[in-house]
Amino acid sequence: MAQRKVSRTQPAPPPILLSGLGVQYDLRLSKKRKLRDTVLRDGRHSKSGKFWALRDIDFRVDSGESVAVIGPNGAGKSTMLQVLAGILEPTAGKVEVRGKIATLLQLGAGFDPELNARENTLLVGEFLGVPHNEMLQRVPAILEFAGLGEFAEAEVRTYSSGMRARLGFSVATSVEPDVLLLDEVLSTGDAAFIEKSRGRIMELMKRARAIVFVTHDLDSAATFCTRAIELEGGRIVADGPAKRVIDAYKKKIAKRSATARRLGLVGRRGN
Amino acid sequence: MTTHSTELTVGRPRRGSIGTILESLASLVERRRLVWYLTVSEVRNKGSNSLLGNVWWFLDPALQLFVYFLLVNVIFNRSQPAILLFLGAAILPWKWFTAALTTATTAVRGREQVLRQIAFPHIVLPISSVLASVGSFLFALVPLGALYLLYPDRLTPWALAVVPVALVQFLWTIPVVITLSALAVFFRDIANFIPHGLRVWFYLSPALYSIETLRGIADRHPWFGLFVNANPFTWIFAGYRDALYYGRSPEWGPLAILALAAIPAILLAIYFFRRVSPLFVKVL
Repeated sequence: MAQRKVSRTQPAPPPILLSGLGVQYDLRLSKKRKLRDTVLRDGRHSKSGKFWALRDIDFRVDSGESVAVIGPNGAGKSTMLQVLAGILEPTAGKVEVRGKIATLLQLGAGFDPELNARENTLLVGEFLGVPHNEMLQRVPAILEFAGLGEFAEAEVRTYSSGMRARLGFSVATSVEPDVLLLDEVLSTGDAAFIEKSRGRIMELMKRARAIVFVTHDLDSAATFCTRAIELEGGRIVADGPAKRVIDAYKKKIAKRSATARRLGLVGRRGN
Repeated sequence: MTTHSTELTVGRPRRGSIGTILESLASLVERRRLVWYLTVSEVRNKGSNSLLGNVWWFLDPALQLFVYFLLVNVIFNRSQPAILLFLGAAILPWKWFTAALTTATTAVRGREQVLRQIAFPHIVLPISSVLASVGSFLFALVPLGALYLLYPDRLTPWALAVVPVALVQFLWTIPVVITLSALAVFFRDIANFIPHGLRVWFYLSPALYSIETLRGIADRHPWFGLFVNANPFTWIFAGYRDALYYGRSPEWGPLAILALAAIPAILLAIYFFRRVSPLFVKVL
């Protein structure tokens, strides 16, 4: 594994650094399966069938920052998290993330329905690359937190979606990350678990060096985050203190929906 | 206060071809437990949700053997001493190969969810798929071994030579499965084509008939002779049959050449897989 030595005289490199980052999708490759996408093309699709989900992103998160990523659907928010998590490799530019990463994307990925909670915990731990002994030690706490009761011994296929999500959440948040990547997971399970998971996330946020939080919930973004960036069409269109960026974004949306309403009326009249 | 690691976890520079291969091999060693978990769960999942459960592991090969026995012995009326052993020595290893190739098409594609959520070395998927298919072959050895109850005089110490012959087959299954698992992500048609391609391959290999029969055809069509010699399964089936049916030493020369040739094929497949694997998430 390539490990960069950090000399004592220089300041530590930032936990997250993106420079000139671009992620391109080639729709010709996935066309066979998702014909729909090629039909519903928008401005970012060039004639060759390639399109940039993210383009020219320069973004740096320093120690102690928590950044909300906001923007409309399809702006590239989730793609950005996938790049930071190392799931997607950039087509252009550079990505550098330092330290242990915890990702809370969709919960319960990697579960095998035929295995029970304990076995699945170990399986996902292996997918995440957590050393086996460390994972073994964590298992009791993970099962405890998920609150599965007698279902802990049952196969995951017998679980309700809420139980599955709870287990997924417990596994994913059992690491002590340097970099925390969140994608709309604050609303998992029932009210009691939401409360509990909020507490856990706050705890992780306190310990993590850097947090990137993708959300449509603007109010919680404003509460949890120190900084916000707005993505649109794969580019960063606003970057600054969370409150300012979010307020500006809210105004923009309000204005847009007003315009849309007006256009809608015009359209109806035209018919 | 916890001390934080500043190790670069995402964004390691891309390596050259040899570096890429070594990186993949190293990740397999590092994630050996994941490979094992996935293998076991794949083997286990096959037996679950059916009435007879794990009995299918033995029943499946036994039934297949019976079908070919009907075809060859009863319908085509071929007489061959100890025919079940003659057929089983080729059909059961072939079943391993078909099982491996069929699961290869879903090895990566079927893991869409986890590919999108977690960053991990994707090579573990086809490798565990290959290993799971070995599991299925090991189970098939039970009905095969049971055939010696019918033909006890056929059992010789040479039966142990099945191990090196199976190793040669295993070595060739690896690159084929790795390559197919990656291609199946981009071309869904591959899954449709494989059963047909395999069937043609099967009938052109000395499984239901002896190698002499094929050589007889080759005398009339020279190009066919070329194919017979280039087909790894000509030598692999011959090896199994020597060990299990004739009770003699397999021809080691061709098997050794096959084994050696498999190594560059494996490395090449790993390289190809690693180079296209960044596209998996985008395509799935």
